[in-house]
Amino acid sequence: MRKLVLVGVAAALCVAVTLVWALTGGGEFWPRWVYFGFGTLAAGVFVFRRALRTPPGRRRWLAVDAAFCGLLITVDLTVWVLSGGGYFWPIWTMLGFSSILGVHALVASRPPGRRERELAARVSALSRSRRGALDRQAAELKRVERDLHDGAQARLVSLALTLGLAGDLLRRDPDRAALLLEEARSTARSALDDLRTVMHTIHPPVLADRGLGDAVRALVLDLAVPVTVTGEPPASLPAATETAAYFAVAECLGNVVKHAVATSAEVAFADVPDALWITVTDDGVGGADLAHGSGLRGIADRLEAVDGTLVLESPLGGPTRVTITVPLTASS
Amino acid sequence: MAEDLTLLRDGLIRMLEAYGYEVVAAVDNGPDLLHALLDQRPDVAVVDVRLPPTHTDEGLRAALAARAEIPGLPVLVLSQYVERLYARELLADGNGGIGYLLKDRVSDIGEFIDNVNRVAAGGTALDPTVVSKLLHQHQLGDLTPREREVLAHMAQGRSNAAIGSALFITEKAVAKHTNSIFAKLGLQSSDDDNRRVLAVLRYLDN
Repeated sequence: MRKLVLVGVAAALCVAVTLVWALTGGGEFWPRWVYFGFGTLAAGVFVFRRALRTPPGRRRWLAVDAAFCGLLITVDLTVWVLSGGGYFWPIWTMLGFSSILGVHALVASRPPGRRERELAARVSALSRSRRGALDRQAAELKRVERDLHDGAQARLVSLALTLGLAGDLLRRDPDRAALLLEEARSTARSALDDLRTVMHTIHPPVLADRGLGDAVRALVLDLAVPVTVTGEPPASLPAATETAAYFAVAECLGNVVKHAVATSAEVAFADVPDALWITVTDDGVGGADLAHGSGLRGIADRLEAVDGTLVLESPLGGPTRVTITVPLTASS
Repeated sequence: MAEDLTLLRDGLIRMLEAYGYEVVAAVDNGPDLLHALLDQRPDVAVVDVRLPPTHTDEGLRAALAARAEIPGLPVLVLSQYVERLYARELLADGNGGIGYLLKDRVSDIGEFIDNVNRVAAGGTALDPTVVSKLLHQHQLGDLTPREREVLAHMAQGRSNAAIGSALFITEKAVAKHTNSIFAKLGLQSSDDDNRRVLAVLRYLDN
């Protein structure tokens, strides 16, 4: 609306000056300079608006520069035409601005700087890990559903059936009924065992009760290889970080037990500001490789979702050391 | 009695009353539990590990805090899962009068009441799950397989007579095994109950 009013005012002024020129007897057609003034203004607004539509960054600067140079060259050409031609002086403006624009384009097309490369890498890592996290979550829910369906749910169905039968037999055959009740009780116990196992894979209870330090200490008590735990993780870790770190340590220790042929291992929480830093070391045979076996790979992916990393050093002959790091401040 | 699920709490109370217990306090959260334990000094407390307000190990902490004030206050801790870490914390003061069982165990009423009685009498009742986890594990000095079996039963809190009937040996033979276990674990002869707890503790620490 405002734009229309402005254009209207400009058009009215142009008509007015033309009338003035006609009424004052014509002569040299000077109103053309008024047209030129308004035209330049309109063209300027138009090209800069277009240029500013480019997304922020070096491309926008180049677009603004091109608009500026293009506008000035056009203005010079128009002035040359309106003033009757003659010696083609705008050639110098054209040459000058073209070279400025050329140099600018050259600079802008150079490979991105370190900071920009870092950001680009981070963006792609983020979208990859977000995607991975969603996929993993979906797969995890599916697994939980199947575990519950095949385990606890099936047992509860059988429990209901057995109880029904027992109720039926209660009067007619109390001895059979008693047997069935005993069977029902043992089915209920198995259902509870199943539920416990599933719950443990979702979120270990000690992790919920006591946090990462005690959860790891409880975990190592159940392992066949003696493991010492030193240090304390930082207090009040974010839930996602804590869970990812727990399952990372659990996977590492699982590998120690299964593959390393180790006689002892150590989990150390290092006191590092603004980061959770855990090393899992064993005195086994070494030769572990991230490329082999999906366990550690999956853990590394899971850690990536909380900006964490997993570094594996495992020379042949050992020792094997896994370093897990998760930054704790909001990442840049 | 400390249990936050009304259904379960009422069921447990009914069961205990049917077996001659009088329930002096039924609470559903950690702070109330600690007060009740210190005020009432019950003959035995049956406590759920997970209680409000935090819904973590509130019950366990209250039990430990009360036992720090009143050494040997008998507490039977129930939980949906059992952890060796918690078993060790409960037994750490070496005073006995401790039970640590899966909630599922209440389905075997006779055995459960036995456990409550034993804890009330200053003995121990450890869940077979904790014990069987240990059985698959490593070195316990130079205990013979038979002695390990006896120790496993002892860890669950069974008396020599009960161990004897479980292993089909005489009570006297069990006593021989337990003495040998105490000797091998380096436990000086003191009163027998206390040594049993210490042996279990040694077992858990391994």
